[in-house]
Amino acid sequence: MSSSVPDRLKVSPGLVFFLVTSIQVGVGILSFQTTIVEKAGYDSWMSIIIAGISVHIIIWLIYKMLMKEHKDVLDIHVTIFGKWLSKVFGVLFVFYFILLTISVLRIYIEVIQVWMFPEINLLVITTILAILIFYIVNGGFRVVVGICFLGFVIPLYLILTLLFPLEFAHYENLTPIFTHSIKEIMNASITMTFSYIGFSTLLFYYPFIKKPEKSHKYAHFGVAFTTFLYLAVAFVTFVFYDEEQIKTVIYPTLGIWKIMEMPFVERFEYIGISSWLLVILPNMTLSTWAASRAIKRLFGLKQRIALVLILVISIIGVLFLKGYHMIDIYAQVVTYIGFGIVYGYIPLLFIIYTIVLKVRKSK
Amino acid sequence: MKLFRSKKDKWNKKVSKLMKQSKKMDDLQALLEACQESNDFFHYEHTFENDTLWISYYKSIVDADVLHKAVFPYLEKESLNSLEKVQSLIPVEKTIITSNVKDIEKNLLNGHMIIRLNDQEKKCLVVNAPVKKERSISPPEVEFSVVGPKEAFVESIDTNLNLLRVRLPIKELKVKEFTIGKLSKTKVAIIYIAGLTNEENVNTVKQRVKEVEIDQVIDSSYLTQIISDNPKSLFPQLLDTERPDRAAAVLAEGKVVVMVNGSPHVLIGPTNLTEFFGAFEDYFLNPILASAFRIIRFFAVIFSILVTPIYVAVLTYHYELIPSDLFGTLISSREVVPLPPILEAIILELTIELLREAGARLPTKVGQTIGIVGGIVIGTASVEAGLTSNVLLIIIALAALASFTTPVYQMGNTIRLIRFPFLILAYMFGMVGVVICFCFMLAHLLRLTSLGRPFLEPLYPPRLKDLKDSIIRFPFSWNTKRPIQLQTQDTVRYSKKKARKKKDIDE
Repeated sequence: MSSSVPDRLKVSPGLVFFLVTSIQVGVGILSFQTTIVEKAGYDSWMSIIIAGISVHIIIWLIYKMLMKEHKDVLDIHVTIFGKWLSKVFGVLFVFYFILLTISVLRIYIEVIQVWMFPEINLLVITTILAILIFYIVNGGFRVVVGICFLGFVIPLYLILTLLFPLEFAHYENLTPIFTHSIKEIMNASITMTFSYIGFSTLLFYYPFIKKPEKSHKYAHFGVAFTTFLYLAVAFVTFVFYDEEQIKTVIYPTLGIWKIMEMPFVERFEYIGISSWLLVILPNMTLSTWAASRAIKRLFGLKQRIALVLILVISIIGVLFLKGYHMIDIYAQVVTYIGFGIVYGYIPLLFIIYTIVLKVRKSK
Repeated sequence: MKLFRSKKDKWNKKVSKLMKQSKKMDDLQALLEACQESNDFFHYEHTFENDTLWISYYKSIVDADVLHKAVFPYLEKESLNSLEKVQSLIPVEKTIITSNVKDIEKNLLNGHMIIRLNDQEKKCLVVNAPVKKERSISPPEVEFSVVGPKEAFVESIDTNLNLLRVRLPIKELKVKEFTIGKLSKTKVAIIYIAGLTNEENVNTVKQRVKEVEIDQVIDSSYLTQIISDNPKSLFPQLLDTERPDRAAAVLAEGKVVVMVNGSPHVLIGPTNLTEFFGAFEDYFLNPILASAFRIIRFFAVIFSILVTPIYVAVLTYHYELIPSDLFGTLISSREVVPLPPILEAIILELTIELLREAGARLPTKVGQTIGIVGGIVIGTASVEAGLTSNVLLIIIALAALASFTTPVYQMGNTIRLIRFPFLILAYMFGMVGVVICFCFMLAHLLRLTSLGRPFLEPLYPPRLKDLKDSIIRFPFSWNTKRPIQLQTQDTVRYSKKKARKKKDIDE
């Protein structure tokens, strides 16, 4: 199985912007304020920027690594570890993406359960969403990117909802700055990075980009936009809520929607949560796509069969997770794995790969 | 699949059997005998002053006037000893002398008559004299426009080609004809502008038309269902139009037009979703007006699909969404209604569908009456009887009205049907259900292609240049390039510099 991709399946480099942003923004944006405020209070907006910069560095590393031979990560594994050991590392990625899909799916359904339908049938809704994911991924990468694009553009109107709470804003909340130590801010930054991960799918879809070297800047734009989005949401949350209050609220973003009032609609969170499906759909489709493609490349299984397997596992996983605490612990485990991959494994891979290539060249 | 194949095999066997039979009729006598079994076949000896000729034709498809005015008078006083002489005497163009029975058969069935010296002769003179019974050109009825040309295609492919060629008098306009349909032998023409249209698109259409396996092609809509990229989809992937001006305009854009003999609608491809919401009349209006109408139409469609499902979702699950001022109105209209919102909505939607269906099937005058009677009487009566709330009645009537704003009839049908899955999912999962269904629709639209080109373009893949003539129509001077979607050979329509040249004050 080689990583070469026919031209008609490739997407234009500009779309990488949407691929990167849409997988970074997911369920995390509903609740990230609580975790960072716990650590660095109102100063945590700096943590958002610091975490954003660190992601820029990783993206830069990934591009440096992939642009050397224009191969995806599975080929790089083969170059470094040989034919058999490379499969082990590939499988790690597959597991991570499946776990990620389950985590996103479960948290979204949990939000629906808590805020809209406490009595919803878990099996039915999960199956319907799994069919939706199957239908999208079955259309190929082009359709997956299409969902990433539309999942970015259509919910963009939700940004306008950030203007409503400003009516009740206390801008003095933000001053004075630097009330927390650097250590606390850095601590919050590490927590914040959890909201950025997911872009490691880039390692898999890289060969599907036309003129990939041109897409480099768009990936950075994508991260920059995500950073901006998190900052905007954090800003509104900080001026709207009291510091102690944020720590007690699980989903501060949803709380903001609650106070919105328009002449024809109240309790906007119902519409917001429903539209949120479009935001998290790219998360799930892109990671299931990456996982199924990896399985195909690693074991020569048909991608469609791999996809069905992944979705069945996901459904079982979702049914297995019950109650807020279990989901929370599970989600934390997944984010730790993701954190390890992004900040531990990728830089390590970069170093080894560079050395291996250097050694080969000198030979 | 197997069942299908065996049926196909049987069919093929039958056809080959028929073919064998026709092969047996290699000699002319057998052919003529077979033809004579039909009562509208004329086969007789005509006596002139000096000689006689055998004449045979189907009187139902041959214009006897040609015989009387252009054949007989010229042969009256001549000695007719050879067919060549007859041929040179009669002033009809494109006559041929042949003894090939297959050709003769084909021509006989296509409005030709054959002339022979005697009944045993194998050589025939084939004279073209088809009778032309066709509707005269009338104003467009489906795509009516207040301003602009008032011509519409008719059922005859020759007239239709004429309507097109008059609008594009260039030699690059190419017409490729095919015959499809085992029984109907329908003429299908693929039309494009050489050197401009993407060859790949033309070849795709040609190949698909050639591969069509069917016995009868009655209308171009048959062909749409066969050559579309995804025939199972609810969304039409080839635009059909009855306006020659629209067909000429899209040809100049670099699209391919497919014409079917016997159909007053031509097919246009590749097309995209936004094109179905643009009426051709938009180009006759000022761009600002046209853009405004297009936007209204676009929102009308979204409204038409989503409003009833949202009503069902809100009233079944999310009462909290409704502001308290509005709540009073809703409660007072719904308090006597015994049905849950979903049943209420389905009953009313079905009523509207019934009215539409009845109105479409009945003769025009009765249809109008039914529409008015049904609309007013059933609507008011059901509200008064307490079966439905008047708020929903207003909503559904508006949704129905909005669905009529789509200029392309086929898309209107799609919109009619597509709201039912939305309704069911709205009933199951409220607003989440509506969004799930919406996502399914998006995924489906993303997967669709029209002749291999993305159907959702220019929205996805995002192409800003093509957006200049999609939901918003920019002035002609801005649209100087052909759509990227079509990948034309010649991308420039006209010089941008000249079109957008600005004059200084007092120049």
